[in-house]
Amino acid sequence: MTRDTWKRWAFAAIPAAGLLELGAHAVQTHSVVPQADWKAARDWVAGQVHPDDLVAFAPRWADPIGRETFGPSIATLEREARADETSFPRAFEVSIRGSHLPAFAQWKRVGEQRFGGVTVTTWENPAPAHVIDDLVSMVDPRQMRVERGDAGCTFVHGGAQSGGLGFGPAIPGDHFACPNGGFVAASVVADLDYVPHRCIYAPPPGGSGVVRIHFLDVHFGHALHGHHALYVEAERNRAGAPVTLTFKVGDDILGSVVHRDGDGWKPFELDTSALAGQNGELVAEIASESGERRMYCFEADTR
Amino acid sequence: MKLRSLLKLPDRIGWRDHVIGAALGLVYVVWLLATARSLGFPRDEGVYFRAGTDYVRWWRMLFDHGSAALSQSAIDAAWSTNHEHPALMKTLFGVSWWLFHETWHVFRDASTAYRLPGMMSAGVTLWVIYLFGARAWSRRAGLVAAALFALMPRVFFHAHLACFDVPITALWILCVYVHWRAQERRGLGGTIAWAVAVGVVFGLALETKHNAWILPGVLVPHALFVHRRGLLRSLKVGRVSIPASLVSMAVLGPIVFYALWPYLWNDTLERVQWYVNFHLHHEYYNIEFLGKNYFGPPSPRAYLPVMIAATVPTVTLLLFGVGAFERGAVGVRRLRAWVRRTLEKPAGDAPPADPRETDLLLALALLAAVGPWFLPKTPIFGGTKHWMPAYPAMALFAGRGFEIVLAAMKRALPALRGRRLVAAEAGLAACVLAAPLAITVHSHPFGLSAYVPLVGGTAGGADLGLNRQFWGFTTQTAATEYLNPKAPRNATVFILDTTWDAWAHMQEEGRVRADLRVVGAPHEAMFSLVQHELHMSEVDYSIWVADQTDSPVYIVEHDGVPIVSIYRRP
Repeated sequence: MTRDTWKRWAFAAIPAAGLLELGAHAVQTHSVVPQADWKAARDWVAGQVHPDDLVAFAPRWADPIGRETFGPSIATLEREARADETSFPRAFEVSIRGSHLPAFAQWKRVGEQRFGGVTVTTWENPAPAHVIDDLVSMVDPRQMRVERGDAGCTFVHGGAQSGGLGFGPAIPGDHFACPNGGFVAASVVADLDYVPHRCIYAPPPGGSGVVRIHFLDVHFGHALHGHHALYVEAERNRAGAPVTLTFKVGDDILGSVVHRDGDGWKPFELDTSALAGQNGELVAEIASESGERRMYCFEADTR
Repeated sequence: MKLRSLLKLPDRIGWRDHVIGAALGLVYVVWLLATARSLGFPRDEGVYFRAGTDYVRWWRMLFDHGSAALSQSAIDAAWSTNHEHPALMKTLFGVSWWLFHETWHVFRDASTAYRLPGMMSAGVTLWVIYLFGARAWSRRAGLVAAALFALMPRVFFHAHLACFDVPITALWILCVYVHWRAQERRGLGGTIAWAVAVGVVFGLALETKHNAWILPGVLVPHALFVHRRGLLRSLKVGRVSIPASLVSMAVLGPIVFYALWPYLWNDTLERVQWYVNFHLHHEYYNIEFLGKNYFGPPSPRAYLPVMIAATVPTVTLLLFGVGAFERGAVGVRRLRAWVRRTLEKPAGDAPPADPRETDLLLALALLAAVGPWFLPKTPIFGGTKHWMPAYPAMALFAGRGFEIVLAAMKRALPALRGRRLVAAEAGLAACVLAAPLAITVHSHPFGLSAYVPLVGGTAGGADLGLNRQFWGFTTQTAATEYLNPKAPRNATVFILDTTWDAWAHMQEEGRVRADLRVVGAPHEAMFSLVQHELHMSEVDYSIWVADQTDSPVYIVEHDGVPIVSIYRRP
């Protein structure tokens, strides 16, 4: 083809582009993954999954469909609002559109099953952490005691409290109610990236006041591993006072971590090798100079 | 024979072209009316419905009781509602509701009557685009330009609403068009008439939405350039002459703005200052862009180009590119010839001068409308609607692009004659219009969730982390698909981003079951809705805790992408 020929027929690129766009539209709107594929994937995963496995959905925007189809027995709150992936030995990643979660980039792919438009990839964690005790699961009067300042907090079974935008994490019906309106509860926080995390919702009163949580019988390992954050709308303006979380065993301070606005879901790890293999009371103290919208949440486990 | 001569279009653009333009607009309005009931009510619409009702009540009071309506207390009682926006469109919404719903019962739904003026403004936009294109280049260019504008999915979505974004688009291009016509050489009467028209239309634009503040940035430099020689001649003899259209804009514009907004009739300066400050220091709302939630400055500079590429059909953008490039090339050739003449060298083969400087005007109309969205402090929460006034100029360049492609086709296929040529022309038009039509039809009623095939459609937009919706209007679809058929009688519903006003209107019109009751928090509700936007996730997680389940019972989807999740408390 000569240059003149190309030039002569160059106009055809426009109608061709129009037809290409039409074709792409037809393909895209007819390639929606049918519900039957999701259900087939669910049935397979239901037959494979163990309680300590992770089930996750990709891309992130497909998560509601995953939760709807897989139901609360597989898409559990513990899996959906996980702190991180380190403790899961195996993961079933249920994905569409060839998407994968970055969390599994270093994991070993051990299997892949296709159910029409849904792919279930089985991943193995090369170094899963062995969790001994999960503190969030200990939010219960038999395993935990709470004080706010000098006053003790009572565990109550009431109605949940929740709201619209700006309300903060919901307060479940079962929670520790403290004098002067304080509380401690297991909830789910939206972090700075709007990712959900199960955590102990424990807003500090501000000033010299401290929220003190006694975990009555903790089995210690070599590390106390955790994360902390504030509710996204409380920390995104980066104008609030830092929140300090201090862990103590008896009179000994295991360590302190500080969360500053903008840190997001911030990990921490304290060395507890000296306590490994022992049981005992672990105290978490939460304090901040100001109590103004310090909608603070943390999680930790012994490992 | 007489009918034939009536139908035959003369070379000169005239009344028949107004008929064509009006017919285009009418077809669009009918299409909008036919699809209006499936579109829920966005947050803002509920407010504007109420404002329109209050404003028309005041007009009726004025006609019934005369001067009593002119007291400040009477004016403020009616016009304080939503005084952060001027009154023209809300007044028209109210008048339309009063006439077409309350009085003449033309529309069964009050909302359709409220929405009619907005829809008609979309029709007017098509009319003006057609006329502009026909006069500037050719009827074919005008037709294709109008069609390409109509077939932008976001335009189609917003054209349904009793809001201001399409009306300001209409008045923006109408003002540009009238100003353009005012630059023609005429007798004194014609010059004055067109100049007055510029002032009045500019005033109406000011009275529609604050985008109009930018219009002088289009019209003033353009008029000064068009009249540059006359202006320089006047200056040389010590006189300052200002084009009549600009004088009219400066004088009549503010008068119309003031006259049509009774809220400004008292404490005028204070209230105008408040209005200006409100928009200069507007609150930032949340909006997702490329997976990140923006809620304050700095706004991402890539927002506008990425959103245009992701929401305007690609073939439209390509045609715009062809047209804009060709007009740009003509401009460069003219500039080069001018430079050579100035240097007293032979100018060569220069394109003919355009006394109305059409290309410059359209370029300014486009650039001024998009310019603010490159500034870091401009909030981006409105998605594409805030720069919609740029789209008519974009469509006009695209219409010109179509004409160039058509000319190239004729050069490439010289043997085509008669019916075969007509068929080839129609085929070319079909090739460039089919995709925009299909995409626009498919986008409804999820016009804010839909993205063009270039980015992978709705799912591609979700992959990219582009905003999926705002204003909570998709609650109606959630009701249609799930709540109306499935919810128990008197069930309570938490509606999150939907206003109670909007919900009440949907119930009044039978779009949502009348027995369903709205509550203010998920823990009070049997059903909780989450309209999926990134920042709404925080409430999603609250529902998990309040309801002790993270599994929705139903999801409204568009092309497999979640739009609304519905939870039911176990």
